[in-house]
Amino acid sequence: MPTSLLAQVPPGSLDLLAGDVRRRRHVQREWFALAEAHGYQEVIPPTFEYEEVFTRSAGPELASRLIRFVDRDGRLVALRADFTSAIARVVATRLADAPLPLRLAYAGKVYRQEPEAVGRRREIFQLGAELIGDPSPEADVEALRLVILQMRALGLGEFQINLGDIRFVRPLLNGLPPEQAEALRIAIDRKDRAALAASAREMGAPAAVARALVELPELIGRGEVLARAGALASGPEAEDAIERLRRVDALLADDERRHVVYDLGEIRGLGYYSGIQFEVFVAGVGRAVGYGGRYDGLLALYGADRPAVGFALETDALADLLAVEPS
Amino acid sequence: MSRALRIALPKGRMMDEALRLFEAMGSPVDPAARDSRRLILPSADARFEFLPVKSGDVPVYVESGVADAGVAGQDVLEEAQPDVLRPLDLGFGGCRLCVAAPEGAPYPRIAGGGIPRVATKYVESARRFFAARGTQVELIRISGSVELAPLLGLSDWIVDLVQTGRTLAENGLVVVDDVSSSTARLIVNRASHKLRLDEHQRLIADLASALERGAGS
Repeated sequence: MPTSLLAQVPPGSLDLLAGDVRRRRHVQREWFALAEAHGYQEVIPPTFEYEEVFTRSAGPELASRLIRFVDRDGRLVALRADFTSAIARVVATRLADAPLPLRLAYAGKVYRQEPEAVGRRREIFQLGAELIGDPSPEADVEALRLVILQMRALGLGEFQINLGDIRFVRPLLNGLPPEQAEALRIAIDRKDRAALAASAREMGAPAAVARALVELPELIGRGEVLARAGALASGPEAEDAIERLRRVDALLADDERRHVVYDLGEIRGLGYYSGIQFEVFVAGVGRAVGYGGRYDGLLALYGADRPAVGFALETDALADLLAVEPS
Repeated sequence: MSRALRIALPKGRMMDEALRLFEAMGSPVDPAARDSRRLILPSADARFEFLPVKSGDVPVYVESGVADAGVAGQDVLEEAQPDVLRPLDLGFGGCRLCVAAPEGAPYPRIAGGGIPRVATKYVESARRFFAARGTQVELIRISGSVELAPLLGLSDWIVDLVQTGRTLAENGLVVVDDVSSSTARLIVNRASHKLRLDEHQRLIADLASALERGAGS
């Protein structure tokens, strides 16, 4: 192979050299010190798995981004696209009889197909945790608290957690024919005011639902948003969502609460999360640097019905944000 | 807090209309900067910085977060499918994406029952359109003078933007189908919207009320 070819790597992959590696290892070391101190044990799922491990949980979006190959026996295998799915499989099989709750932590690479020429990497480092077997608001707060502690351990004091509960928006899509539901999901996801109003008209939505739809893009803010959202809640499921967020809010300490913005109009976690969901943002970064939430239905897909809450942080993004070069 | 909100604008007529709208809401381009060749144009009230870029690049700047928001035609968004918020239809920049064929040419089948060849700049939009119709086509990506393709025998049909239809007529083409219609949209970076919520909500409200007053049209 001529050296000009050797000098290239496939788009979306890259070499990490001394400084890049040092920053990532620093992020990971801080993470495992923190995770261990909170009773989380590290697990390392395999780099590749039968593809159905990921297609089972992830839905069509992630399924279309798997990097697959054919194994010796002809079965389709995929590179690890998501730690949560792999850990769900482990918990439902090898750890099926383990006493609950289980606290598991991880750090490593995930691999996803990305469109060409948009500058996204196809292998990225993530770290995260799963708390399995505890349905309580205290467990939700434990996940949020680990995120906050990890950000602080890295000296990243200025960050924002946008926290919602998918049960607030999900009922708005219930009972709609699939095409209408999809159009409405897109309108909510894009905060497209005109399309939201049009959807409400087309559905012939009752006045209360129509008002909730049009107000969705505005339901972002501190604690007072929960009161506003409570008045718009469209049934028992949405009321449960608000009640859960109130309990989470009450469990947070003041210096934790200052990082939290309530965000009821977010629908990204539909089909994956079953309760609280959140994203982590840092000024100057154009994408979320972390995400998580409760996914009580997920483990049942692997044969062990357990409540679970967890999160993943983007190790690469955090490493790039480190102000001081770690020694 | 930090710097002004950065707004990516598509160079050309759509940028002029967008700037008229910003002017109507009290944020004209700083006159000192207007005629210079500066790459970033601040608004006189220091609330915004405008980034003039090629129309197809607006989604790239906004999705990546280099710009906090931008103005892009619906046609450009359908083609690029960026992961951004689309809170507002700005109403101007209206055009249609159409299938056009030489006058009298058969559509939606071609003579002899072969697979039609379609030249276009909007490959993704055309792919989705014909897939939804169940029509098998061969798409040819070209980057300009699309109307020439059928004349020169490169393609049977074209998919292109139509404003008045004059260019089509001059080349002996007629519209045979509508793919989509398009107006300019405000698009917003997702992370920026979360982190600078008040500024974005004010921007959206100000633009909406300027539109209601009929500015920019």
